[in-house]
Amino acid sequence: MGALYKKLWRTIGKTKGQFIAVAAVVTMGIAVYIGMTTAYFNLNESKDQFYREHNFADYYFHVVKAPQQVTKQIEAIPGVTGVTGRIQKDVTLVNEHNKRATARLTSYTLPMEQEINSLQLLTGRFFAAEGAAARPGEQHTRTGDIEILVDPQYAAANDLDFNDIVTIVAEGKTIPLTMVGTATGPEFIYLMKDAATLLPDPTSFGIITVSRERAQQLLNLSGQVNQVLVTLAPGTDEEKVAQQVKSILEPYGNLAAYPRKQQLSNAMLEGELDGLRAAARFMPAIFLGIAAAIQFVILRRMVRAQRLQIGVMKAIGYNSRQVILHYTSYSVLVALCGAGLGTLLGLALAAIMSQAYAMYFNLPATIGAVNNQAILYGFLLSLGVSILAGLTACRSITAISPAEAMRPEPPKGGGKTLVENLSWLWHRLDTAWKMSIRSASRNRGRFAITIVGVVFAVGMLVVSLFTIDAVDYMVESHFHQNQRYDYLVRFAAPVKENAILNITRLEGIQKSEPLMEIPAKIKFNGHSEDDAITGMSPQATLKRLFDHRQQPAQVPEEGLLINQRTANKLGAKVGDMVEVETLLGIGPARHSPVKIVGINMQLVGGGSFVSLEQANRMLQERQLASGVMLKVDPAFAAQIEEDLEEMTGVSSISSRQKDLDNFNQNMDAMIYSISILVFFALLLGFAIVYNSAVISFSERQRELASLRVLGFSVKEVSGILLKENLLQSVLGVALGLPFGYLMAKGYMNAVSTDLFTLPVTIYPTTYIYAALGGFFFILVAHLLGVRGVRQLNLVEVLKNKD
Amino acid sequence: MTNNILMRLNGVTRTYHMGEVTVNALGETSLDIYQGEIVVILGPSGSGKSTLLNIMGGMDLPTAGDVFFDNDNLGLANDNQLTRYRRNEIGFVFQFYNLIPDLTARENVELAADLVDEPLSVTEVLSDVGLADRMDHFPSQMSGGEQQRVSIARAAVKNPRLLLCDEPTGALDYQTGILILALLVKINRARGSTVVIVTHNTPIGDMAHRVIRMRDGLIAEIRENASPLPPERIEW
Repeated sequence: MGALYKKLWRTIGKTKGQFIAVAAVVTMGIAVYIGMTTAYFNLNESKDQFYREHNFADYYFHVVKAPQQVTKQIEAIPGVTGVTGRIQKDVTLVNEHNKRATARLTSYTLPMEQEINSLQLLTGRFFAAEGAAARPGEQHTRTGDIEILVDPQYAAANDLDFNDIVTIVAEGKTIPLTMVGTATGPEFIYLMKDAATLLPDPTSFGIITVSRERAQQLLNLSGQVNQVLVTLAPGTDEEKVAQQVKSILEPYGNLAAYPRKQQLSNAMLEGELDGLRAAARFMPAIFLGIAAAIQFVILRRMVRAQRLQIGVMKAIGYNSRQVILHYTSYSVLVALCGAGLGTLLGLALAAIMSQAYAMYFNLPATIGAVNNQAILYGFLLSLGVSILAGLTACRSITAISPAEAMRPEPPKGGGKTLVENLSWLWHRLDTAWKMSIRSASRNRGRFAITIVGVVFAVGMLVVSLFTIDAVDYMVESHFHQNQRYDYLVRFAAPVKENAILNITRLEGIQKSEPLMEIPAKIKFNGHSEDDAITGMSPQATLKRLFDHRQQPAQVPEEGLLINQRTANKLGAKVGDMVEVETLLGIGPARHSPVKIVGINMQLVGGGSFVSLEQANRMLQERQLASGVMLKVDPAFAAQIEEDLEEMTGVSSISSRQKDLDNFNQNMDAMIYSISILVFFALLLGFAIVYNSAVISFSERQRELASLRVLGFSVKEVSGILLKENLLQSVLGVALGLPFGYLMAKGYMNAVSTDLFTLPVTIYPTTYIYAALGGFFFILVAHLLGVRGVRQLNLVEVLKNKD
Repeated sequence: MTNNILMRLNGVTRTYHMGEVTVNALGETSLDIYQGEIVVILGPSGSGKSTLLNIMGGMDLPTAGDVFFDNDNLGLANDNQLTRYRRNEIGFVFQFYNLIPDLTARENVELAADLVDEPLSVTEVLSDVGLADRMDHFPSQMSGGEQQRVSIARAAVKNPRLLLCDEPTGALDYQTGILILALLVKINRARGSTVVIVTHNTPIGDMAHRVIRMRDGLIAEIRENASPLPPERIEW
């Protein structure tokens, strides 16, 4: 078979542009597949391993406070394999320069091994329980100090080190804590304060862990816990056990109960994993599909052009199988090159992605394994697709009888094209257009495949650029439309409205509007959903609300503006009566019936709204506020911020500007991944149009040379090819734009979670850029594909048969 | 020359359907080919000579009739059997040489040599046709005569029992044509291969043991040639 292999190599050498283009598409497909699959596999494995080794809880119960012995009762429930009672509470952190941040103070009992959601020590050592002295050889802190561990991202963001002091405000007292190390746990992988937060911000939110005894002292909860975590035996009916636990905890004031999948960090992580898995299937499918189509076109053309050679091979005694094998080897080589390069690139991509994930997710041991299975599948996938394309393209070889092959291929059937039936249009076209249209309709298969390729490439451009629109839309609607305030100040405990006066009197404050935030359960038809209800004045201007049609919505004097997601889950609609149970940590739970008068939709987080007065009625209180929104004169912003920091009753100050800055900082990684996507899309489009141009050029060399002999200029001849190219490209671009919208919708569906949805908003400029991108790759591909026009050797081309 | 029959065609016909037109390329034809002879089939274009050659070469199947080669009926052969027949028994020489443009002269010959168990030496065969110093040239770097010599070498290297030549001199000038014919005679003598040459060039018939004239898809005349001329003495 030696001579046949030499022929194969020479063929590849002659068509190296096409070979490289199609191999590059396979390379991208395999790289994306291996990169994403490996990143998915590693992230998922790291998560599972971390969860397993640290007894990640199956169910969470929040109560006002309960005696710590209550865990004994819960342990007795069948199906429960472990129970941990602990204290977790958000306290105010006072940084250097009096800056506020929120710390989620969480208690643990040593030894750590038995604990549910146990900690993984990263640096330093575990905190000592009360009275326990540091063991010999360990670094000592000052005697009597309260030792804590801090999450690594907070420590890094605030330059904290061993023995540094962290100051918190708990129960109205300022307390210094001594940091002895950093640690993370399975519930702290993705650190966001709550679902209403856009992104983690380690400068304003952190985890402080401390021994249970210390936590009880700090928060005046001696002998008490406020959270119960349970692990369950596999196959246990979660909801049944949860009901039993809730009835045990009933006397202690149930605040919230939720399963693992609703735990914020886990939900965010799973959301990311779902998106990654969806992309890991979707993206390679596009690339490999297009690569298969290109190979099909190349090989079918090659088989046609080499009909005579195939005839000769058959005449000498090669059988169809050998000849098919020879031509299919071309695509096998494409597959092997693509898979080989794709694997290398994919592993690099996986490393970059893992690095990015390490930045966002607090996983102590990120598995950086090379996923051999993914590589194997990558090769099989690439080979399978290529062989299939090769065999399909070459199946006509079987039908070629050696004698028939000795005759030149009969001219393709003429016949009128569709456009020719539109005679008014047809007569207005010049000859070049007529040739182009006839040629396109003669090669319908290739024409269609090229269009599909362009559609996908332009669609991918739209999706890549859509991400920027989506973020822009989110920033616009979240930071500019919804939040009109400059600062949102929250108090450690609700205060009377008139107590806000000392804030509103500060110089430079232009407007202030109080609000009352109440964690609550909303119940309807036997279903119950946790939600946050915010009370604010119907005349409030510093926070704007929108309904599900993105029309402005107003807080009603009477009745509930319900969060769209909550309404969907409950199956409740406007006009229904729901029951609201308040879950404020202070005071008893209150139940009140409220009528739904409207729907409120927010991009990030949940939230239902009532008037401030109704919120107070729900609590059976008057004129209480938990926070205040401020609009300030920019000239006084710094001074106001400083003054607010000094007020002890203030638990947190969120600054719109700071949130926006934090958000923009996180966009760098996004720009990076968008650039990669855009590059891939351009390359994809280029590869398919280039191939089409090369083939169309080589098929028609004789025809084009004849035109040159007749007196056409090089430019005019290229023009005919360009028209043919444009014909399919314009159609591809036109179809690609709406297709991109559909792809964006599909992608959004795949990645949207309970906590986070984006409407698919694509700006007109995005379509323009995508279309320009499309014409760019089309033009480049065309110019490279037909650069041979200039070198057309008129005499040679007309003399030779092929 | 012995009188053993190598191939027997019995009532062979071939009809083509080209769209709505039916073409009777070959009418009822019966013919024996003997081992070791040189047969020249003469006739104008469209007389059915190429169709006859294609059927003899297992490149095409008859519409009716039997084609026996060594007691095997090619008329009933399937694709695999035809391929094996072409591979092991037949060498083809084409009017337009039909070399693989991406392969050198040597590689074109190797292409055929690779197919059989006991091929002749590729270098020797190429030397025999006078291309010892052109072996590593590509078809595009060779003259027509040289290309046809490669084509003959490619046919001969399998050491086939039957060498079928379709207008082997059709694209060549007189001198070169004579050289090619001489090569075919040389192979016939040295290896005992049967050589069938299809041509419209009547004088070439003088070198044959038998001359078959065809007209309108039928054999018009079979003439035995008691003393064939060496190609060098043929003129046209």
